[in-house]
Amino acid sequence: MWQLLKLEWRKHRMARYFLSFFSCIVGIYGFVIFAALSSKNDIDSVIPSYNDFLTLVTLLTNITFIILGGVILSRVIISEFRTKTINVLFTYPIRRKTLMLAKLLLVFSLTAAGLFLGTWIMQGLTYFLQPSLGLFEGTFTMREMLDTFPKTFTNAIMMGAIALIPLYFGMRKKSTSATITSAVLIGFLINSTVSNGGSSFSLSDVIIIPLIFSLLGAGIAYLSIRNIDRKDVV
Amino acid sequence: MTYIIQTHQLTKRFAADLVIDHVTMKIKEGEIYGFLGPNGAGKTTIMKMLLNLVKPSSGDIFIQGNPVNLMSYHYLQDIGSLIEYPIFYEDLTAYENLQIHCTYVGQQDDSHIVSVLDTVGLRNIDRKKVKEFSLGMRQRLAIARAIVTKPKILILDEPINGLDPIGIKEVRELLVLLKRQYGMTILISSHIISEIESIADTIGVIDDGKLIEEISMSALRKRNQPTIKMVVSNVQEAKRLLEGFDHTQAKIIDEKTVHVTKTRETTAVLTKRLIFQGVDVEEVVTFHETLEEYFVNRINGGKEHVAIT
Repeated sequence: MWQLLKLEWRKHRMARYFLSFFSCIVGIYGFVIFAALSSKNDIDSVIPSYNDFLTLVTLLTNITFIILGGVILSRVIISEFRTKTINVLFTYPIRRKTLMLAKLLLVFSLTAAGLFLGTWIMQGLTYFLQPSLGLFEGTFTMREMLDTFPKTFTNAIMMGAIALIPLYFGMRKKSTSATITSAVLIGFLINSTVSNGGSSFSLSDVIIIPLIFSLLGAGIAYLSIRNIDRKDVV
Repeated sequence: MTYIIQTHQLTKRFAADLVIDHVTMKIKEGEIYGFLGPNGAGKTTIMKMLLNLVKPSSGDIFIQGNPVNLMSYHYLQDIGSLIEYPIFYEDLTAYENLQIHCTYVGQQDDSHIVSVLDTVGLRNIDRKKVKEFSLGMRQRLAIARAIVTKPKILILDEPINGLDPIGIKEVRELLVLLKRQYGMTILISSHIISEIESIADTIGVIDDGKLIEEISMSALRKRNQPTIKMVVSNVQEAKRLLEGFDHTQAKIIDEKTVHVTKTRETTAVLTKRLIFQGVDVEEVVTFHETLEEYFVNRINGGKEHVAIT
């Protein structure tokens, strides 16, 4: 499996993903800092506390990495079907299910790892920048930061699975644009926030909703490989 | 007789369409098997079924004596293939594409990639990505990919499409070399008969999903008796007189031409009878039916004026 993952990495030049990853982090973090600093002295500051900071960072990284997951999905899976390189791939002495599993695993792990690492890089940066910039009221300790680990971890796993949902839309017409468009819609839908002055509500706050969506993503991934060995490749 | 590829009553339906109709074919080890048929006859579908890309609706496939079922994939280790249009990872170079291919097949040693690229005539392309290749170059690269792991069986679907005449000649020579040097069994399809005629040991003719003939080239040559073309003044009378000889068949081609086949008489004897019976003979030519004519006749089964594309 490791060998297959390496081959997928090489074939699709996934090293380019690092550049996208860092661009996303810079973009998100730049936006958060801008929002924090520009509203710092306002009465209704955008980021009044560490928790609000974490919510905003998670929200933006979730949306960004679900979309990025859709891009990777379209490159690693959909484009192989669209350009028919899958016909070549399926003539190798390797079980189709294993080949597809490697692809799904790559999409899932890149999305989840990117999201998890991204969140932590931004938290780490904030830990060092907060004393000098004062992005929000008060301080936060290393302990507080480490306590968010289970939440960021489960969030990354769930979003990684949710990022597989566009597979369903992309595979219907072997369309990369349908994959990315559905990723954008899903990313915004799951992380959409309804705000009413002081209180806000996001679908992702109700744990059961992202959980259902992530199970849906895992289900779609399973269905995509369940019968792959029996299908005609024409 | 050792058959390396065998199909038995192989059938494929796509929805209600019967695409492959009970095809039983036998390919001997170490031979070049020319698979002939017009476009849409079912050549590619059968090749895809041999590679398990398309699953049969019924019938059996045996590769190297082992049955191929829905889940089979180990046997693909011994098969190099080129099906339809040559497809690659466009952002990679030819070398990288072949390297990835070798790893997938399980051959870690990729030291001979350069020599294989050289063999198919791809030189000085080190940094060129495949997306910059012409169709001819892609076709050469696809052949390189099929042979780079030195498989026992080569399945090549129209491999000379897009090649120039020199390229076609080179590929033909390469295939004969692979057969002689490595004992490869080669299944090669084409709708252009002359491309296959000179190298095939056996030909299989397919039309409308049915294998209508499978014959060795040597048997075909033996069977391919000469035809005598006679231009005469009265074709009806000539036909009657000529068919007076034992076994002789005469077919009226037009108002002045008769084709004589299966005769045991010499042209001199035939001509003499016609002249003595008052039929003038203007021209006598003996010729052999080419494989192309044979192929067209077999496929059309007497339906004339049907173009083979």
